[in-house]
Amino acid sequence: MITFEHVSKTYPNGVEAVKALSLEIAEGETLVLLGTSGSGKTTSMKMVNRLIEPTDGRILIDGQDVMAQDPIALRRQIGYAIQHIGLFPNMTVAENISVVPRLLQWLRARIESRVDEMLSMVDLEPSDFRDRYPLQLSGGQKQRVGVARALAADPPVVLMDEPFGALDPITREQLQNEFLELESEIKKTIIFVTHDVFEAVKIGDRIALLHAGELQQLGAPREIIESPANEFVSQFLGHHRFQLSLLTRTVRSILEELQITPAEAPAQRPTHRLRARSSLIDALDEFQTAGQASLPAYDREQFLGTVTKPQLFHAVAQVLGEA
Amino acid sequence: MNTMWANTAQFLEDYGQDILRLTGDHLLLTFMAVLIAAAVAIPAGVLLALCSWRRLASVVLGVVNIFQPIPSLALVALVGVLFIALDLPSIGLAPGLVALVVYALLPIIRNTYTGIRQVDRTVIEVATGMGMTSRQVLFQVQLPLALPFVMAGLRIATVWTIGIATLVSLVGAHSLGDLIFRGLSRHRIGLILGGAIPAILLALLFDWLLGFVERRLTSTGSKADGLPT
Repeated sequence: MITFEHVSKTYPNGVEAVKALSLEIAEGETLVLLGTSGSGKTTSMKMVNRLIEPTDGRILIDGQDVMAQDPIALRRQIGYAIQHIGLFPNMTVAENISVVPRLLQWLRARIESRVDEMLSMVDLEPSDFRDRYPLQLSGGQKQRVGVARALAADPPVVLMDEPFGALDPITREQLQNEFLELESEIKKTIIFVTHDVFEAVKIGDRIALLHAGELQQLGAPREIIESPANEFVSQFLGHHRFQLSLLTRTVRSILEELQITPAEAPAQRPTHRLRARSSLIDALDEFQTAGQASLPAYDREQFLGTVTKPQLFHAVAQVLGEA
Repeated sequence: MNTMWANTAQFLEDYGQDILRLTGDHLLLTFMAVLIAAAVAIPAGVLLALCSWRRLASVVLGVVNIFQPIPSLALVALVGVLFIALDLPSIGLAPGLVALVVYALLPIIRNTYTGIRQVDRTVIEVATGMGMTSRQVLFQVQLPLALPFVMAGLRIATVWTIGIATLVSLVGAHSLGDLIFRGLSRHRIGLILGGAIPAILLALLFDWLLGFVERRLTSTGSKADGLPT
């Protein structure tokens, strides 16, 4: 668990980047720090691994004040991923991924198997990618390596600063979806910084919306979209609110509201299926590509039930009525 | 035509040994000067680049820069005068070597400095954020990424030194310059060419050789080659 207690950062020139920020991030939770540039979101994140040091207040990880810990040891226990530029261009993919394990002086055999494991986890064929240099990778591949590197030493806490920032919309969407799947498997405590409200709604268990160094609202994506705490929050969401509402409802929420239970699972893994964590928009997309009247829904490999097109349309109409 | 070949053959028979020996001296002088300069300039360039007090770098680079526009012949002469003033032997290897080292310092120190400074700040920050100590950041990230720049500095320094080494014959250090100056004073074109042509070839050879090493170092990661299609 990570706790911010009245954390402030004031620069010597008087700029207050973060003002008395207090919040808690539960173990295994993904908290998104959302805001425009200058909102203090990146500063807040960098104070966790002490790349920036707070001028007031405390940050605790599992009750331990980060300022009381050796910064080097602290950082090696915290995964760190940033935009693709953060890969070391002088190191191969394998060397990049194994940076922290090597700093922690793992045995060579353990490092090698871990590199391959991480590459497979982010869907890159180890034998093909291990020895490549970052410049020989596409933007999406770099990003996957970046995520693999952040997770390589199996840190309990991961900081991600716009990790999908510099990607084209299609690759970005694909990586976000993969990240969601990955995240549900690895159960890390993640602080995720972004300026993109759609990404925030998609990725975050909760969102902390920051503006000018101050916390505007903290809550689940649906809470923030349906009941903005102040004028700034509703302006920030702006005309995206309807679309965002569709994003906050998931296939799981349809299953729960309609009390759909798994009758009998399809014998084979169907080509077209819905994921429990998919938003209504993604579900509409899936129906479009499948061209079927109903689709089975899964939580990873577990069959949850079948959703029909009218049921989905009904859920969308409900959101329409509310929004 | 025949007489020209015969003359050349005769010349090589008379002076071939001298040319070979002086080429060796020339190379030895060059290597000593570049090695000494590198031993000073690479650490100095790194320290300057890492120093948080920016003024220091501009002051030091400024001072080193002063030597650059001084005509090489004048510098060699000045070093000779300096040695006399300090009551040191002003004829021989030492004053020649000092002049060459002074010249070789600048390209190495400037390139090392630039090489370290050009490393993306984000890369350094992510290295720090992952838990590298500043020494690890230097040796595992900054220096490897600066290496092509450092190599370019060494290449430039070597080529310059090969050129200027012909001049230090004037203060009694042996090099291919011996032949050139002897030829000039005796109006013997053969001697002038016998010194000048090997010196030119050495400069071209080392420019190519070190350029090749430089490109190899760059292509490992810092340059896009073998991109997947």
